Amino acid sequence: MMIIASDPLLSSDIGFSVVAIMLLKVVIAFALLMVSVMLVIWFERKIVADMHNRVGPSLAGPWGILQTLADGIKLFFKEDLLPERADRVVFRLAPYLSLVPAFLSFAIVPIGGDFTNGGDGTVSIFGHRTLLQVADPPVGILLFLALSSIAVYGVMLAGWSSGSKYPLLGSVRASAQMISYEAALGLSMATVFLFSGTLSTSGIVSGQATWNWNLVSTGFIPFIIFVIAGTAELNRPPFDLVEAEQELVGGFHTEYSSIRFALFFLAEFMNMITMSAIAVTLFLGGPNGPILIKQIAWVWPILWFFLKVMAFLFTFVWLRATLPRLRYDQLMDLGWKLLIPASLGWFLLIAALNIGEDRGWSTFLIVPIGLIVLSLAALLLNGAIKKAKDSSLHAADLSEISEGVDQ
Amino acid sequence: MTSQYLPVIALLVLAVLFAAISFVVSRLLAPRSPNDRKQAPYECGIIPAEEDPNERFPVRFYLVAMIFIVFDIEIIFFYPWALSHRSLGLFGLVAVVIFALAVFESFIYLIGKGALEWGPNKQVKPKDSVVSLTRNTSNTIRRVGVRKVGQEGRDLPNQSVENKEVSS
Amino acid sequence: METVVFLISAAVILSGALGVIFSKNPVHSALFMVQTLFGVAVLFVLLEATFLAAIQVIVYAGAIVILFVFVITLLGVDRAEDLKVEPISGQRPLAVVLGASIFGIILTVLIVAVGGPTGEQVANTPIGDASDNTKILGEALFSTHVFSVELTALLLTVAVVGAVVLSTRPTKPLISTLDKQQNDNLEDELEEKGEE
Repeated sequence: MMIIASDPLLSSDIGFSVVAIMLLKVVIAFALLMVSVMLVIWFERKIVADMHNRVGPSLAGPWGILQTLADGIKLFFKEDLLPERADRVVFRLAPYLSLVPAFLSFAIVPIGGDFTNGGDGTVSIFGHRTLLQVADPPVGILLFLALSSIAVYGVMLAGWSSGSKYPLLGSVRASAQMISYEAALGLSMATVFLFSGTLSTSGIVSGQATWNWNLVSTGFIPFIIFVIAGTAELNRPPFDLVEAEQELVGGFHTEYSSIRFALFFLAEFMNMITMSAIAVTLFLGGPNGPILIKQIAWVWPILWFFLKVMAFLFTFVWLRATLPRLRYDQLMDLGWKLLIPASLGWFLLIAALNIGEDRGWSTFLIVPIGLIVLSLAALLLNGAIKKAKDSSLHAADLSEISEGVDQ
Repeated sequence: MTSQYLPVIALLVLAVLFAAISFVVSRLLAPRSPNDRKQAPYECGIIPAEEDPNERFPVRFYLVAMIFIVFDIEIIFFYPWALSHRSLGLFGLVAVVIFALAVFESFIYLIGKGALEWGPNKQVKPKDSVVSLTRNTSNTIRRVGVRKVGQEGRDLPNQSVENKEVSS
Repeated sequence: METVVFLISAAVILSGALGVIFSKNPVHSALFMVQTLFGVAVLFVLLEATFLAAIQVIVYAGAIVILFVFVITLLGVDRAEDLKVEPISGQRPLAVVLGASIFGIILTVLIVAVGGPTGEQVANTPIGDASDNTKILGEALFSTHVFSVELTALLLTVAVVGAVVLSTRPTKPLISTLDKQQNDNLEDELEEKGEE
């Protein structure tokens, strides 16, 4: 198997036609993101409406499909307010810090290209071979992680610079939540790299060309952790404490109005699409799938990719309509005391299995030993959690008693 | 190799341009008539308290950021190892397990100390400190259309009496 | 093209560094620091050290400066600090002397040691194929430099312990003095009730 890990388009001499194709790809990715955000917002509202037994958007365009566009245009005509206690520079900067990483992180996602039967996933445009992704740097996935860590600043500074209570509370919650789940996200990805042997997204996809999706080879657990941590990273329900309306009004963007609010909204949904696309790339084989009609071979990978992404988007909406919001301590406990240790343990177990396989150890020996070690670690962790809980419960008991006496 | 990043820069420029142009268009189209009430920090119609909103926060938030650094660095060490773990073999596995154990041990310590405990609050506070005597319904609720209530709207007790009379 | 990228990122780095020092608001300083770190990441990309570039952003901008911003915004240090107060006496003149001497050393090294900067790329970079960079780094880290890696783990452990010790109240007197008083009163009351 050949891992190219770089776009052949840009490896050759860069002439006019190469630059033209590159710009074309960039513009297509940009337009694709904008249009899909428009449709995804409509999709979410419509699906949630169906699940609530409502009609949902129905007036703008057929089935209300243009509702998002109408909302967007409306927001252009709304007054843009700057709160009096705001930090003017940072208040203006924050939407950029949210939007730009959202755009950029989509650049590494391969949305098509045939990787099966020894194909390298490239397509030919005007005599130049290129990958169907905007950029394929050798550290692809790390670029995604780096951008998502920049996006934390957008949320954090938006809340801080507003100079108001609710946004500040919202942004503190949001940034603590995002960094907590970023660790779980990163650890669950590490298990994928055990199998792919590369950080480049096209390399990861071509490693899954023969139906050997990482979903199965990493043993489902990292995938589940990735989806949970991804949902939390996106601040989507049931992890949407960031904008818990009942307590925080709108969360970090309470003070934002007009187009600045629209950009935060846009970034949020773009991140949702990108997170789905990254999950598909890492675990579900990206655009890999059967080529049914040979004449239009290039269509199938794109179709499979979009179907897989759609499944994720539907799941996100479904979660929103189904699950109640977590409490903040539950959120933190889930992230730190379950997901991070579980993904760490699973990573080491899978790595040990891989090395054992190379050295010809018996799998029947490694698995029980690994499980015993892991359960010992889990017991230790459980003991620590119990100890912490007990000491805080002790304090809570005391407060109950004193309240009882007051009455 | 650096040329691989050209499209990323192109997309960056496009994204920044998009945001900037949106701002300009909105500035041209949107009305601009700011006043004190619109620009006041949003507090559900209540006149904001005089104190600085940047009050202190629980130290746990700081601890979470601190622990995140530790885990982030651990993950960053895992990535290169994950890519080369097959060629490193047993030696690399043992090295990583020792590394992970050291970090796990500090994690256990941290949790055992209750540093990541977000549950019921430990503090037992006297009840009456919750109610502030200087902030009550008569000087915090903004009655739109009755009379102008400025930032300092402290001269309102009379009005609340009037309201009581009306209601009774 | 490389010269252009270098010049731009150098300008970004230097303006960021100056911004860190000269901005009045600590949050702005932190933001300028992110700008500097980003510029350094671009320089790493230019040197084809792509993994380093990525972790420069992930660890420094994404974790360490986030911690700074947390401390600044959450602990309420962001009110304008009084420059007249010197936290440690003699700190400022010492800082000037140290800064000047480090600058002098770097300048001397640059001019004397290699016969001045030539601007040419070092012949043996990058290590291997640029796409394989991370793999080779992993092989080097966990074989030749494995001791340093384990020491890092130790350092991280110490950091965690330090953070916990500094930020949590001692566990022994679980009930703070105020609570203890209440508790004593409570016990008295309970006793009285019992007597009744």
